[in-house]
Amino acid sequence: MGKAVLGLFTYVDDMLAAADKLKKSGFSGITIFSPIPLGHEIEHVLGERKNYVRYFTFFGGVVGFFFGTLLAFGTAALYALPRGGRPIFAITPTLIISYETTILFGVLFTMLGFMLFAKLPSYKKKVYDPEVSIDSFGLLVDVSEAEINDVTKILKELGANEVKRVEEK
Amino acid sequence: MTHQQHMKSDISYKEVNEDVVRTMTKSGAGYYIALFLSMAGVVFLWLLPWAYQIYTGQGVTGLQTPVFWGIYLTNFIFWIGISHSGTLLSAILFITQTPWRRSIYRSAEAMTFFSVLTAAIFVFVHMGRPWNFYWTMPYPNQRQIWLNFQSPLMFDVFAISTYMTASMMFLYFGSIPDLAAVRDRVTGWRKELYGALSLGWRGTDAEWHWLNKAYTFFAVLIIPLAVSVHSIVSWDFALSKVPGLNKTIFAPYFVVGAIYSGSAGIVTLMVILRKTLKIEKYITTNHFDKLGMLLLVMSLLWSYINILEVFTGWYADTSFENEALKYRMFTPPYAYMFWLMIFTNTFMPLLLIFRKIRASIIISLIISLGINVGMWIERYLIITTSLPRKFLPYMWHDYSPSLTEISMTIGSFSFFITLFLLFIKLWPSVSIYEVKEDIGIPMKKEGH
Repeated sequence: MGKAVLGLFTYVDDMLAAADKLKKSGFSGITIFSPIPLGHEIEHVLGERKNYVRYFTFFGGVVGFFFGTLLAFGTAALYALPRGGRPIFAITPTLIISYETTILFGVLFTMLGFMLFAKLPSYKKKVYDPEVSIDSFGLLVDVSEAEINDVTKILKELGANEVKRVEEK
Repeated sequence: MTHQQHMKSDISYKEVNEDVVRTMTKSGAGYYIALFLSMAGVVFLWLLPWAYQIYTGQGVTGLQTPVFWGIYLTNFIFWIGISHSGTLLSAILFITQTPWRRSIYRSAEAMTFFSVLTAAIFVFVHMGRPWNFYWTMPYPNQRQIWLNFQSPLMFDVFAISTYMTASMMFLYFGSIPDLAAVRDRVTGWRKELYGALSLGWRGTDAEWHWLNKAYTFFAVLIIPLAVSVHSIVSWDFALSKVPGLNKTIFAPYFVVGAIYSGSAGIVTLMVILRKTLKIEKYITTNHFDKLGMLLLVMSLLWSYINILEVFTGWYADTSFENEALKYRMFTPPYAYMFWLMIFTNTFMPLLLIFRKIRASIIISLIISLGINVGMWIERYLIITTSLPRKFLPYMWHDYSPSLTEISMTIGSFSFFITLFLLFIKLWPSVSIYEVKEDIGIPMKKEGH
């Protein structure tokens, strides 16, 4: 059980200033909750995040391409249907099938990548405040027992409306 | 692009949550009457005639030699076409970061999903023996009915199922943060439902980051997919040798037509939604202004391709091509339909040049409905004026749809409306978090 402090802010710049200050004071376990995506704003403070989902998308596309090709050619190989001198293994129509499966698998793998990295679905009880799906911006900081008071003070000074002690599982 | 104000700026974040949850939880008597009527329509105009057709056989339709594709496939193309704008437009506007997308895209994407579903069911209706649908599924089987991957109909199976999967996921993943917001605000069975659907979303920086990345890839993949889907639908016709169908222009013609009818569908839907759900502050005349411009552009493109299609056929001056054109453009009843289509799809949308017309919601509604009447006629004419006039006159035979076919055509609209009515109560039909983005990020210091 880790201890943590959750501060709720009304303004994004207040919250980011607090995150910045805490980060510079050496706190590493910082999580930001927000009702809207704040990609760029957060990356300024907490540093840039890598985009690993793209490897999933790419890999899915490649898998899909070969899946479609194999399916069409494989079916033709298993049971040859000669039609008036047309090729048994026709490349052009097979490309259309593999085009579709490329996209299909690309989408499916992207979804898989998202779920893996975002750690969803997850139905365990976790630290959360329903206010952050309305209009509050939350700042969750992992702390030790001794640091609780300091962090609470910093959060309040920098504009948090409410500061709560929470337990992380 | 400069940031423009699309909504009243005094809307608070809290108000957005409340308004969207209200559209889902509060429904008046009007809603239930509409739902009852549309469901009755599904049963009496679609399911019962379909059961009758399955029981009696395809003979209850007007299909006979040489016309074996009729109004069912007209409806299939029509609904696939309607589906085109939702997801495609949403994806394009997302990638180009167009702000007016935000309050309309969710219901546009739902429109896509439901119309693909409606279209897919018409394939089953058309099939005659729908319980044999699995013969089109790509797996090795014991009956030696191996699939022919060189048939455009097989391309269709892959294109449509991929499109259905992708547009469903695009809709769902874009909604997760909103489902979580709804979860926090409801009680009872709704809480259970949205708790499960939102996958445990908490709105952390990591979750937003990965959602954004995945969503961008969905959008990027969906654009070429949507273009391929309607191209492939057009190849069901264009890769044949039938005069009037064997045209190289067909793929772009169908894609443009699909986006055109889909955008008109969005306009119709938005007019009805904003009124019935009382969300006028989120969908403003500015949205209709922008959609009107889009319709105008698509109308000009569509008309251009239509002129080309007739022109190249006429210039070739072959007897069968001439016959097909004459049959379509100057033989009643098709001539009436053809010229009505030209009126609703080429001339009427020209009114959208005027800003005042674009800002008028009622005129936008009339024009958009007219466009979809015209687009339905277009698909009907493509099928029913080509097949009855094949190369040799002894084969000629006119097609007229039977009562069963007409009833199921009307029933499909009931089906679509039923799905949509259920959707607006079960799903946040306006994107909560993106409307908030449009309002702006709350900053203490000025300068945003």
